[in-house]
Amino acid sequence: MNDLLTDKAAPGRGVMKLYLVSGLAVVGLLLLAGLAMRASQAGWLPLPPDGFYSLLTLHGAGMIVAMMVCAMGAIWFLTRQQVNMSAKLAVAAWALIMVGVVGVLVATLVGRYGSLYTFLYPMPFRGTWPNWSTGVFLIGLVFVNAGWMIWCCQMLSGVLRAHGGYRGAIGWDYVWHSKSFVASGRHPPPPESFPAFMVGLDGLIAGMAATLLGVALVVHWIDPEVQIDPLWAKNLTYFWAHTVANLIIYMLAGVIYVALPFATRREYHVSKVFVVAWWTSMTLTLTNYFHHLYMDFAQPEILQYIGQLSSYLSALPVTVVTVFGALMLVWRSGMRWTLGALFFYLGMLGWVVGGIGAEIDASVPFNVHLHNTLWVPAHFHTYLLGGCLLFVLGWVFLLLESRAASATRKSMTWLISILMFGGMLVFLLSFYVSGAYGVPRRYSIEPAPGPVLAQIATLGAAVMIVGMLLAGIEAWRLWRSKAGLPAGTKEAIHG
Amino acid sequence: MDAAEKLLIAFFVLSAFVALVFFVVARSTLLTVQPQAEASRFGYAIHGRWFAFLLLGLLGTFLASLPFFPYMRTAAALQPALRVPVEAWQFLFIMPDQFPVNQRIIFEVKTPDVTHGFGIYAPDGQLIAQTQAMPDYVNYLDVTFQKPGRYFVRCLEFCGMGHPIMQKEITVGEAGAGSGLPSLAAIGSNGVVTHE
Repeated sequence: MNDLLTDKAAPGRGVMKLYLVSGLAVVGLLLLAGLAMRASQAGWLPLPPDGFYSLLTLHGAGMIVAMMVCAMGAIWFLTRQQVNMSAKLAVAAWALIMVGVVGVLVATLVGRYGSLYTFLYPMPFRGTWPNWSTGVFLIGLVFVNAGWMIWCCQMLSGVLRAHGGYRGAIGWDYVWHSKSFVASGRHPPPPESFPAFMVGLDGLIAGMAATLLGVALVVHWIDPEVQIDPLWAKNLTYFWAHTVANLIIYMLAGVIYVALPFATRREYHVSKVFVVAWWTSMTLTLTNYFHHLYMDFAQPEILQYIGQLSSYLSALPVTVVTVFGALMLVWRSGMRWTLGALFFYLGMLGWVVGGIGAEIDASVPFNVHLHNTLWVPAHFHTYLLGGCLLFVLGWVFLLLESRAASATRKSMTWLISILMFGGMLVFLLSFYVSGAYGVPRRYSIEPAPGPVLAQIATLGAAVMIVGMLLAGIEAWRLWRSKAGLPAGTKEAIHG
Repeated sequence: MDAAEKLLIAFFVLSAFVALVFFVVARSTLLTVQPQAEASRFGYAIHGRWFAFLLLGLLGTFLASLPFFPYMRTAAALQPALRVPVEAWQFLFIMPDQFPVNQRIIFEVKTPDVTHGFGIYAPDGQLIAQTQAMPDYVNYLDVTFQKPGRYFVRCLEFCGMGHPIMQKEITVGEAGAGSGLPSLAAIGSNGVVTHE
């Protein structure tokens, strides 16, 4: 698998590039939207409320979809190395998602739709925006979900074909009958197959919930006499959104399993603990979302307890298996700190630190003080921006570095790192401090100490974006300098 | 030290510990390269203990947190309390603006339009209690104000363009004759007074 990065003829490269380039392009635009919103909260950029909330809707929905598309491209490519999968079908799924993205862009930028990506019923139908923009937004999301479900079906089918059905794909015999399994000369699936299987299965379940909700909302849009239960709708909204957000991280965990062994020249081994950890993640990811409804006291109480316990236990597979295993790979490996390796390594740190923030928020007694404050965007920006985006950038850089004729200069690596991570740290810290002091999220105008902290955050975000621009320029240089000589490129990376 | 500072310190300490581990592992790449089997030996030696520590820590935290859950039990709901209806509308709260200190209050939070939040901020700016206001449902929030002073109620769920201005100032003071604030002593035989 290590040759995969340098192999120009590896199947599915084109599909991966399509997903990565389109996803990163949307991410880039939406980073600027995020900067504009923080500048507005800082009092430095006058944005009218409808402009602010349509931008917030676009930023939230767009970032989730864009990061999802990037992760889909990477894990699809890895799975494609194990089994033949139709590139045409993957492109068709991508096209459906892009149609949905255009719908969201039109609804928010032209129609000023501003009910946020959570679109809690009946908010989408009670705003100041025109009714058509609600319909375009909802239908846009239906398209995104349709593309997602087609892709999930393809992934699930691919993994099942590659590893002999469900029993083989989840490593059942490897865990329960390991002696006979090993004696028969069989091997468990490679590590990246487990997140691929998980996203196929859990992604389909989440997609079905989204379909149910999407149909209900579109029917209400057509005929407002049809009523929906708001608590039912909220449960489905978060079941879908939370699960997809989690699956983005898990898909990228699959990329870690390939990228870090490449960077460290070591192997990531599948063990029984590893397999059981993925079973745990597959299950708990579907029940974690209850923590979004802790402050809905009308929700059946037992679900609140399940939500906290499930959220706590889901920290185990991440910290005990994936991150622990990754640190063991890096330990005294002599890994060279290229930008690709650095992004992956710090992305794992962002994943864990964001997880700590999430676990605090997932504790009901703390949630009373943190729910819907800026603590929430604090932790999810930590693991989406400081985790997932870094994994995606890390993967792109490893691909580029592996084929480039010249490595990135040390001074450039330092400059990009200081600007990106320094800016990111300032940006994220201001979110955490604001949240701890109870500054509400989703306020176009914040109460004190929000505005001062928003000013600090804006500066941090601006510095971080400058660092990302430099990273983009360096990526371009690496791409232009590709030698086309796979032999010896590993040495170029590892020194 | 207030609650916000304690929370931040807890978060920073845990994050700093993780960052330290990452730093130590990153520094190790400058040392002589070890074969993977040798390097993994130390990792596997602490792997099981780390799992047990984390599992017990998380389960212990879960159990320790249970008494602090804000959900009201049936028995508690029947205890004497001042029951205060709250209606959240785009973009205002219809509710009384004066409350007694050190008396149990149950806010009955409803909304006829969209989902809102009902968050109570103490005079020092701390968010001390909250629940959601959802159409078709009533959320019961059990609060005892510990200190007199000016409090703010803010909407904590996006409800439209006026969301950030949806707030109400309330006053908490001593109950009793001449204050205009109801007292638990005045509660009737059903154990409940409704503050209209």
